[in-house]
Amino acid sequence: MNPLELLATILLIPLASAAIICLFLRRGGYAAAAVSVVAAFGIMCLSFYFLFNWDGLAVTGALPWLELGDYKFELGFLFNYEAATMLAVVAFIGFWIHVFSVGYMDDDKDKGRFFGGLSIFMFSMLGIVLADNLFMIFIFWELVGFSSYMLIAHYWDKDFAAAASKKAFIVNRIGDFGFLVGIAWAYHYYGTANISEITAIIQVDPSKTVTGIGLLLMCGFVGKSAQFPLQVWLTDAMAGPTPVSALIHAATMVAAGIYFMVRIFFLLTPETLEWIMWSGAIMTSFAGFCALGQNDIKKSLAYSTLAHLGYMATAIGLGFPGLAIMHMAMHACFKATLFLCSGSLIHACHHEQDMFKMGGLAKKMPITFIAFFVATLSICAVPFTAGYYSKDTIIASAWGLFAHGDGTQYAWAFGLTMLGALLTALYMGRMLFVVFFGQPNSEKASHAKESSLWMTLPLIVLGWGLSLGAGWFVYDWIWAGGAMDAMLPTDVAHFMVNGFSEAAPGWKGAHHIYEEAHAPWVEWLSYGCIAGGLIFCWFFYGRGPSADRLQTKAPGLYHVFERHGWFDNIYDAYVAKVQQPFANFISLLDVAVIGGLLVRGSAAVAGLVGMVSRSLHVGNIHAYVFWFLAGVVLFSAFALGLL
Amino acid sequence: MNQQLLTSLSEQYASTNHWAVLWPEIALALLAVLVLLVDLFTGKVKALAVPLVAIVGQIAVLFALLFKASCEFEGSGVLFSGMILPSNLSEVMRIFFVLASILVSWLGMVYLKKQYLPRMEFYCLTLLVTAAMMLLAQSANFVMLFVALETVTIGFYVLVSYGRNSAFSLEGGLKYLVLGGTSTAILLFGIVLLYGIGGNPNLPAHTTDSLNFAALEGFLAANADNFIAKIGVVLVICGICFKIGAVPFQIWIPDVYQGAPTPVTAFLAVSSKAAGFIVLINLVMGPFAPMKELTVPLLSAIAVVTILFGNLTAIGQRNVKRVIGLSGVAHAGYLLLGVVALCKGIELGAWAIIFYLFTYLFGSFAVFGVMAQVAGVDDENQDVDHYIDLARRQPFLAGVLAIGLGSLAGIPPLAGFIGKVFLFIVAFQAELYTLLGAAITGVVISIYYYFGWIREAYYKPQSWPTDKPVQPMQVCVGHKVALAALAIVTVLLGFYQGAFGSGF
Repeated sequence: MNPLELLATILLIPLASAAIICLFLRRGGYAAAAVSVVAAFGIMCLSFYFLFNWDGLAVTGALPWLELGDYKFELGFLFNYEAATMLAVVAFIGFWIHVFSVGYMDDDKDKGRFFGGLSIFMFSMLGIVLADNLFMIFIFWELVGFSSYMLIAHYWDKDFAAAASKKAFIVNRIGDFGFLVGIAWAYHYYGTANISEITAIIQVDPSKTVTGIGLLLMCGFVGKSAQFPLQVWLTDAMAGPTPVSALIHAATMVAAGIYFMVRIFFLLTPETLEWIMWSGAIMTSFAGFCALGQNDIKKSLAYSTLAHLGYMATAIGLGFPGLAIMHMAMHACFKATLFLCSGSLIHACHHEQDMFKMGGLAKKMPITFIAFFVATLSICAVPFTAGYYSKDTIIASAWGLFAHGDGTQYAWAFGLTMLGALLTALYMGRMLFVVFFGQPNSEKASHAKESSLWMTLPLIVLGWGLSLGAGWFVYDWIWAGGAMDAMLPTDVAHFMVNGFSEAAPGWKGAHHIYEEAHAPWVEWLSYGCIAGGLIFCWFFYGRGPSADRLQTKAPGLYHVFERHGWFDNIYDAYVAKVQQPFANFISLLDVAVIGGLLVRGSAAVAGLVGMVSRSLHVGNIHAYVFWFLAGVVLFSAFALGLL
Repeated sequence: MNQQLLTSLSEQYASTNHWAVLWPEIALALLAVLVLLVDLFTGKVKALAVPLVAIVGQIAVLFALLFKASCEFEGSGVLFSGMILPSNLSEVMRIFFVLASILVSWLGMVYLKKQYLPRMEFYCLTLLVTAAMMLLAQSANFVMLFVALETVTIGFYVLVSYGRNSAFSLEGGLKYLVLGGTSTAILLFGIVLLYGIGGNPNLPAHTTDSLNFAALEGFLAANADNFIAKIGVVLVICGICFKIGAVPFQIWIPDVYQGAPTPVTAFLAVSSKAAGFIVLINLVMGPFAPMKELTVPLLSAIAVVTILFGNLTAIGQRNVKRVIGLSGVAHAGYLLLGVVALCKGIELGAWAIIFYLFTYLFGSFAVFGVMAQVAGVDDENQDVDHYIDLARRQPFLAGVLAIGLGSLAGIPPLAGFIGKVFLFIVAFQAELYTLLGAAITGVVISIYYYFGWIREAYYKPQSWPTDKPVQPMQVCVGHKVALAALAIVTVLLGFYQGAFGSGF
């Protein structure tokens, strides 16, 4: 099987699984789960088979789908380093989350719909990863949007879930509108939508980048990755089942925006990059504050996801796309773990999601606790855990660019991301101590038991293993003579291991502990933030409290965090005051002019003519013969030029 | 002397008689004889054995055709002294006709189970008519064309009035007989005029073999403005318009379609129409090619009127067989777009027509299959009202119906949509903008009645209280498989067109 066919097979496995479930197993229960999990396993095996045999060179090509003369619809693939990392993440984490779902959804009646949705999601996500042109990306982009919509509304009979799925869908459409306009502009401007071809055009003439195209394409990223100003949908999306939150709204789909920005990095002008950097850096600390104002464990984690997407955006804005991809991969490991742990907790506490009703769960659920603990260290960027390698590098890089003299905006980025790091330690410490330490605060929590093997095994793999050690992939001595180099962007790995002096071109300003440090205090400040944040939480929030101390001591401040800047209220007001009256006006036009005059009117005309022509079929055979004769006379007259 | 004559005859005429080329037609004729014998000797099991032999035999022929299709053209050229000229098109149409014939036989099984009628003759006639259609597709001489066409038509006279217990069927048969006879007369008159004028020694490029397509083409190229030739061409086109159901020769369609048994209606709607189109394609690509000054405007006008008339008239119909018949008129109009494009030299037009015919085959037979299941003993009495609530009584049939009708209406991503796209592309290439406008208007109108039908099946609650509880309909597994296959092919062809796609 050649590489293209292998990639096509990987792409089509989940589609086949979804089709089987949709056609035969809608009420299939565990059978549907089995089909979906086996499909995910197949994707993982084939993906890693492909990655191990990959020589590191970009794979491009297309399988023909429909040909119309010169015009061809093709299923095009572009496989390069960011696709490799993303494929590894989607395939590996996707599989383990499928396994987790079997345990988590054991009491659910609609397993068929859920697992069918997961398969559709895998299909659309892999499509984004592999597609080589903007149109295909857009199609799959919408498909992930659809599967996200479908899975958020899994508990469709609950009003908040239905509303959340609608909100996610509509907010994403706003971003996608800009995205679509951007694609159309790019196609018009470059004459092609193929990413490799546009890359070639820009390599020949770097002045052909357009800020407008970059900003419009960025709209898609802003919607999908829930960045300012479209960040409002992600926390509501937590209404979906927790494995969905882990897979779609933490590890993969929301990172697709980042992935897409990396894919089209060559298109982005410095102005676009600066905008991305600012929006990302502000998000790291803004979302961090919001996370402190949530009692719902999943919502708090969702804000954490926003903050970390902000880190990735900052990395892109700084000009280090490889670093963004690396942080995407690391984040996928530890954030998926955190969500799966919260799923394990929620499942054990009979769908209780309020942290302050949990408490004391470390002893009852030791496997979950260890996984959560490791992932907490990892997300706070404690040295040598996965998060450390990417997150700390981003912060240090921002300082490095400033120190290199590239501009004061990088100092701001450094400050904001460092503040974000401190906030990470705060909200994660709060979560850890409130949920796992002290005594149970509710009936449900006191009866909690460790989850089944279906759920604990993914926690061990992703939590104990990857949240701790995913960063070690940068040392190729551990990983089979470099066969796993594809797991992480090579330029990042190279920089990490060899340090500043030997770093690849483009890494001019990045600082890190392993290089001959120009500013060791950056590292120490980072460690101080982690330690200080955790220690502060230990004393401020206490072990297993039944209420948020910040809420009781400073209700005003807490309320600001809780309402996350009143964005929802502003948008609601806009919709009610501006959009709704306009929509009503359009609706009136539709009913009166289009519906009444055009549709009914033309239907009446057509019906009238039809009535006349129908009455021509009199059923009399003589009349029919005269039709024939009239036809002959008419045609002959036409032939002779009389008509 | 006689000996000498025989030798020269065999050398001149019989030398091109390669009977092996006609093996599918011969196989079908032999199969018809076999069906006769099976009916004679099987006794009690004949109700099962006759259709089984007919269908299995045809499937064997179909597979043989599919796998031998490529190695068939070595001896291409003039066969049977210029009577037969196989081509890529006719090869594909052979497959088309056998496929349609299999499906007609299958519908016949469903229909005959509900009727007190003899069984064997139905299959026998279907086989012979199909063989004649395959010959028709390959004919390269007006004599051959006429003989094959008459074989088809005479078979249909019997088939249309096959339901002899039904006054509608007999009436339909009579109408088809009289109107078919009229159209045959018109066609024959046209052929005779062409024969006569082509052999006129006073004219340039006259020929002694003026019934031969190639010879006639040469003659017409030199005499495109000849009065008699023009009349001849027009009369031949009139005769074919009867077959394809183009205005004003469509007038027989609603009555005959309604009266004919459902499988025969399907046979008429699909195979007979397709036969008309393959003849028309052969004519406009061959002998009538020099006459495009005449054929292009004439066929364009017919196409516009046919599309609009068919669609508008179908709107108010309640009887589904009439709806299908009149929508079939509209489909003939769409297909004429391809023919006109072909006249204007867009070679792809032929393949667009054939692909459209295939999508029409699958969509139509899906719908006819459902109709055959839903129909009661009164075969002619099939109203849209009978489909009310079908989705609840028999969701499978409703699903197949929706896919079939969706494809006929040209809803993406079904096959019918791609078929229409191909036709519209060739029409666009041929710059037939007025026709495109008419076709798109027609498609919009057609959605009204197709979806009206689907709405009855899915959404319309019964407006009056029912006396009897809704009884779920039973469909046996074999029929379900066949219907499902048709629906799946209809969906798949929408996504992947294989050789047809690359042909474009």
